[in-house]
Amino acid sequence: MELSEYVQSGLQTLADSGCFSPSAYTVLLQTAFQSLLNAQADQVALDHPVLKHIDPTVLKHCHAAAATCILEAGKHKADKSTISTYLEDCKFDRERIEQFCTEYQKNKDTLEIILGSIGRCPLHITDVSWRLEYQIKTNQLHKTYRPAYLVTLNVENSDSRSHPDVSFSCTMEQLQDFVGKLKDAAKSLERASQM
Amino acid sequence: MLLVLSEEHKEHLGFLTQVDSAVVGEFGRIAVEFLRKGTNPKIYEGAARKLNVSSDIIQHGVEGLTYLLTEGSKLMISEIDFQDSVLVLGFSEELNKLLLQLYLDNRKEIRSILSELAPKLPSYHSLEWRLDVQLASRSLRQQIKPAVTVKLHLDQNEDQTTKILQTDPATLLHLIQQLEQALGEMKTNHCRRIVRNIK
Repeated sequence: MELSEYVQSGLQTLADSGCFSPSAYTVLLQTAFQSLLNAQADQVALDHPVLKHIDPTVLKHCHAAAATCILEAGKHKADKSTISTYLEDCKFDRERIEQFCTEYQKNKDTLEIILGSIGRCPLHITDVSWRLEYQIKTNQLHKTYRPAYLVTLNVENSDSRSHPDVSFSCTMEQLQDFVGKLKDAAKSLERASQM
Repeated sequence: MLLVLSEEHKEHLGFLTQVDSAVVGEFGRIAVEFLRKGTNPKIYEGAARKLNVSSDIIQHGVEGLTYLLTEGSKLMISEIDFQDSVLVLGFSEELNKLLLQLYLDNRKEIRSILSELAPKLPSYHSLEWRLDVQLASRSLRQQIKPAVTVKLHLDQNEDQTTKILQTDPATLLHLIQQLEQALGEMKTNHCRRIVRNIK
């Protein structure tokens, strides 16, 4: 893991028991994790009484440093020994390293999910709805008498915002073709997952 | 069901009695061609010169014939009904037979042209798909994230559009399940009954 000077110095301050008492360290560590994982978290968390006597600038620096370290570890799927080694280099004592790793282990999966969901992708299909109708006549043509399907694909873009749905009409044969091709894709997915 | 022809219409069609059957056949061909591709006034002038009448009369004749064929095709009237509708024009036996043949020969194509006029949504043309596995991104390394990317080709009023969409394996299976249910609906008793009884 490679982190900037700013982050390293923040971590070194965090390691220093003269600046951060054991309880202050615990609180800051938990706050750092919560601010990353909990979408509703806000600045209030840094107002904990145990942190009151620490200079706010220092608090922010250490909080940012801890958060960056957590993200880097998550991004590279770092294992315990990598994290331990890095924290050792930042002068963390055994106990604080253990605490960090335990907290990290607890939150690792959620962190990975969040990191994995960041990024661009084509419009994502989330659901489908369909309608079957039997056409009888139009004003230009009577006695048409044929079934038709209207298919709507519910679609989201990469920010999970909804996007106008994709709708199309089709005959029974066309729908069979569509479903057939989707089944080919599913079969090939199954084969690939068995390799 | 009989076709009801207005006086004006009967007058326009009256011209057909004054020409021989080859010309009527030709008019029929022109009428269908105009339905396929749109009218071309120059044709009227050419025919007018050859037959030594004004181009207006030619135009009315062709339009009258066109209306006869399209109305018949739209309503899908039977042979007998068509013959009875035409009887009122007082044409010769030969001309009636010719008109009936013209109707029967071109009905299917005319109906297909008329069906293009209906309000339409984009319709399915085809689908291409691709299997992808995301291995890493800027925010997360060492991933194995399968996805299916599809290119959906749609037709709308002669324009082809394509949409690129993606989905995950679970949603893909869900889509297949839902759409297979949709396909199965036509085979249910309810739908079969409706199809049988609406005629």
